[in-house]
Amino acid sequence: MNIILDGLGLGAIYALIALGYTMVYGIAKLLNFAHGDIIMVGAYAILTMLNMTGNPWLAVIVSVVVCTAAGIIIERFAYRPLRSASPLAVLITAIGVSYFLQSLAQLIFGAKSRPVTLPALGNITIFGASFSVATIVTLVVGAIIMAALTLFVNFTRTGRAMQAVSEDKGAAQLMGINVNRIIMITFAIGSALAAFASLFYLMQIPATSPTLGSMPGIKAFTAAVIGGIGSIPGAMIGGVLLGLIEKICLSIPVLSAYTTAIEFGLLILILLVKPIGLLGKKRRVKV
Amino acid sequence: MKKLARFLSAALSSALILGAMAGCGGAEKSEVFLIGATGPLTGDASSYGISVKQGATLAVEEINANGGLEGVNFELNMKDDKATAEDASTGYDALYDAGMKISIGGTTSGSCAAFAEKAAKDNIFVMTPSASAADVIAKGDNTFRVCFGDPDQGVLAAQELSKNFNKIGCIYDTSDPYSSGIYEAFEDEMKELGKEFTTKTFDKENNKDFSTQVEALKDCDVIFVPFYYTEAGLVAKACVQKGVTAELFGCDGLDGIASQIDSTVTNKIRYITPFDVASTEEKVAKFVSDYKTKYGVEPDQFAADGYDAVYAIYNAMKSAGVKDPSISASDLCDKIVEAITASDFSYDGVTGKMTWDKSGAATKVPVIVELGK
Amino acid sequence: MEYIKNIKKSYKLKYNITYYIIIAIVAVMSVMSLTGDLKRSTMGLLARIAYSIIMALSLNLVVGFLGELSLGHGGFMCVGAYIGCFCANYLHNVIGSPLLVLIIAMVIGGISAAFFGFIIGLPALRLKGDYLAIVTLAFGEIVRNIFKNLPWFGGAMGLSTVTYSSNSLFIVGFVVVLLVLFLSQNLIRSKHGRAVTAIRDNEIAAKAMGINVTFYKLLIFVISAAFAGVAGVIYGHFTTPVMYSFFSYNYSIEVLVMVVLGGMASLNGSIIAATLITVVNFLLQDNLSGDLAALRLLIYALILIVVVLFNNSPAFKPIREKYSFHKLLEKLSSHRKPGTVTDDKADWNKIESKIPMDEVLSVDFRTEEATPASDFTEKEDNDNG
Repeated sequence: MNIILDGLGLGAIYALIALGYTMVYGIAKLLNFAHGDIIMVGAYAILTMLNMTGNPWLAVIVSVVVCTAAGIIIERFAYRPLRSASPLAVLITAIGVSYFLQSLAQLIFGAKSRPVTLPALGNITIFGASFSVATIVTLVVGAIIMAALTLFVNFTRTGRAMQAVSEDKGAAQLMGINVNRIIMITFAIGSALAAFASLFYLMQIPATSPTLGSMPGIKAFTAAVIGGIGSIPGAMIGGVLLGLIEKICLSIPVLSAYTTAIEFGLLILILLVKPIGLLGKKRRVKV
Repeated sequence: MKKLARFLSAALSSALILGAMAGCGGAEKSEVFLIGATGPLTGDASSYGISVKQGATLAVEEINANGGLEGVNFELNMKDDKATAEDASTGYDALYDAGMKISIGGTTSGSCAAFAEKAAKDNIFVMTPSASAADVIAKGDNTFRVCFGDPDQGVLAAQELSKNFNKIGCIYDTSDPYSSGIYEAFEDEMKELGKEFTTKTFDKENNKDFSTQVEALKDCDVIFVPFYYTEAGLVAKACVQKGVTAELFGCDGLDGIASQIDSTVTNKIRYITPFDVASTEEKVAKFVSDYKTKYGVEPDQFAADGYDAVYAIYNAMKSAGVKDPSISASDLCDKIVEAITASDFSYDGVTGKMTWDKSGAATKVPVIVELGK
Repeated sequence: MEYIKNIKKSYKLKYNITYYIIIAIVAVMSVMSLTGDLKRSTMGLLARIAYSIIMALSLNLVVGFLGELSLGHGGFMCVGAYIGCFCANYLHNVIGSPLLVLIIAMVIGGISAAFFGFIIGLPALRLKGDYLAIVTLAFGEIVRNIFKNLPWFGGAMGLSTVTYSSNSLFIVGFVVVLLVLFLSQNLIRSKHGRAVTAIRDNEIAAKAMGINVTFYKLLIFVISAAFAGVAGVIYGHFTTPVMYSFFSYNYSIEVLVMVVLGGMASLNGSIIAATLITVVNFLLQDNLSGDLAALRLLIYALILIVVVLFNNSPAFKPIREKYSFHKLLEKLSSHRKPGTVTDDKADWNKIESKIPMDEVLSVDFRTEEATPASDFTEKEDNDNG
């Protein structure tokens, strides 16, 4: 039971990161490999604020602001000049940005992993079983954020504009939508979600290091693809699914060493059955 | 594109040839003893490499400040190998070209194996501070180490734990040579002793969330954690989160865990170590305070090993009577090996008093220390 | 008649020039290594360049010519390195000559990697674009994860191998580079190569033309994987132990960087980019020792970003055109090349107006210049943005 809950908690983290991937992909058609490193930026922001003020609420707010700013800056200076370049060129820049953030973090904060002390939330006992409050908070807040995002995308002007841009950039522009602004907003939202992901990540794994973001980033990317890249509910489902599988595999002794292989193997299987992911949109190819 | 290609390849080839030519002309006469080293200075494992570098640098500076070896100074050149074998090979080659006379090898086992393999062919002396895997010192007669070997620690831990505890749990890192090396010896010894224990694994490349493993081991009295302090700190925190009060018992890699945990961790933590940062012994205290003044942080075991590796080489060279820096690396190696394996040679460093035999393993007394005591 | 003869002659030179250059460099280096004048690190660097070039060439077959993004090319190299070197360890007991062992190991490594190339080629028939990319990435990680946990291959400690003499490994490496280049060039210029590029440019149209898409996709994946496997064996003979950690997606991406920076579907470009990136990495490692090492990744990252921005950003277009190598070469050569058509009036939209005839005639017509159509949309975007 606890394993399932842990899995859901991890899944929520993956889902939050995957949302950033999937939104940016859906709208800018860009695999933002630097997204995982935004989590690392968020984690260091939390660490710094906690050390300076000791106030966790302030730390979270600052982390969201820093991540959002980082997302916007990266978009403005690394990706916008390449709007018309081939997707692969942008991919290389994204990798460059990822390396850049990692080495910058190492220069500023050192290579050593640094512990983060968030307020202990302890455990609660429901029906005789003990649950970690941190996991429950992750789940609840994660669900609220995702619900809010879904509402935002479907029912606000900006959200609709985002859908329009993702559907057809040129047409959206003709309809008077400022495409660059929409893409910037997408990056901002994705990075803010990454900040929350970094908070929840630190609640599970309370230490930061410059390469903290790369593996969760890859896993979340996988989750986004499982769900169908570009699809927001898909990213959530993919993330939760991946988190559950990871935790279940880890708890089975024979399989635990092969967890990564199983996760990725499952991804391949799902894609073979459904080549566009679970909830991906099928695009018709014109000749 | 074609034209560009042709132009570039022409430019490149000439540059390459020029670069290679520049290297001709044989080694110049050296004025110092160049100590070569590689270690992870960037990437995931970089904290270990950086510690070794800082410890070794401190030793070199001290020696030079005290007049070097009969007036000849030492110089440390450490290349970044990102803890990979191929960068250690490349680093070795570059150091060889730079005129390396002696080396403190690689920091991590995998890259040190690559380093030692090459050094064995050239017969360059290697005194690795921290590469503890069994087969590193088996690469050649010229390879020695400062730290304990992995199997020794596994055996020692098994004896210690089976004596004092009933329910023993163990977590180890399948992706790490150090951790799995200790674990294998531990497992064998536990079988020999007829003790049951529960094992969980993790893979630090992919997963640093220990809640599942700790959850599964929550009934144990003690959890054996044979890996480095970065991950062990996370295990301790996971214990707090899950309300597990078992003692954590680890090996020398756990040294430095104090920087990774906070007051919320109430579990007893003990580890096998040759180096105790809180020791009141005069030379250890001096090392710790010097290190702190220079780098602003407390030294960990890697720094102490790096420091001792340089001093061990220095002492061996002194006892071998080497003075002339123009001696060839191979001759120097033979002399050092002879001196260091001599029965009357011992070096009393910050990680304890040690002697070496032909196998290259250091014999020193392990201490089990308790954190915060 | 004389004119055509001249063109033919210049063709021959053009298409063989890469071979000549490589052979010349390697010949000089070999002589120097025999006389002992070559620095140890240069020999190591050359071996690294050799296997990087093979990796870049083989990935270019998939990414540049087949048009499928692969993020798990390191996985094939991993298979080749582990299985090839595993066999080599046994062969050393039977066969005395290290060169023969190396060659047999390369064949074994290549075949085993090709087998995995076939397996990973199967999903490629069903998946497209980024979905295929993530499957290849997943493949690379799965392979690593499995080798890491197999005790026969040394587990976490890595597979100990017998390294080949560094004096001559690079010579063997470059012979393989030439072979791989020869095979790829001939494949690409053959009927089959044209079929492959047709699939890349429009799969449906290619199908309609009667091209067997299944066959060609699998063919490219298999060949490319085999080359990567051979590169893996060279790697395993360059350094020991063979560690699973080397073949992570970071490495696969580094190879992809070589291909993209060198120019998609440009074999020469891949060779140059692979060489440059390996040399840059080497120089950074060599010069930034000690405290400066932390700057290594930072500088590498900045180089990547700046190079891509400079090559692709519209903001740099005037500078690019002013200082391009084409311009430079034009200035250097007093006369215009025959076969170059200029149309000065057509510069209203900066369409590349020179039509280099020789490139049209050859197969690798996809150069790094944007096609006029995408140029047009690019303008649109910028005006409004």
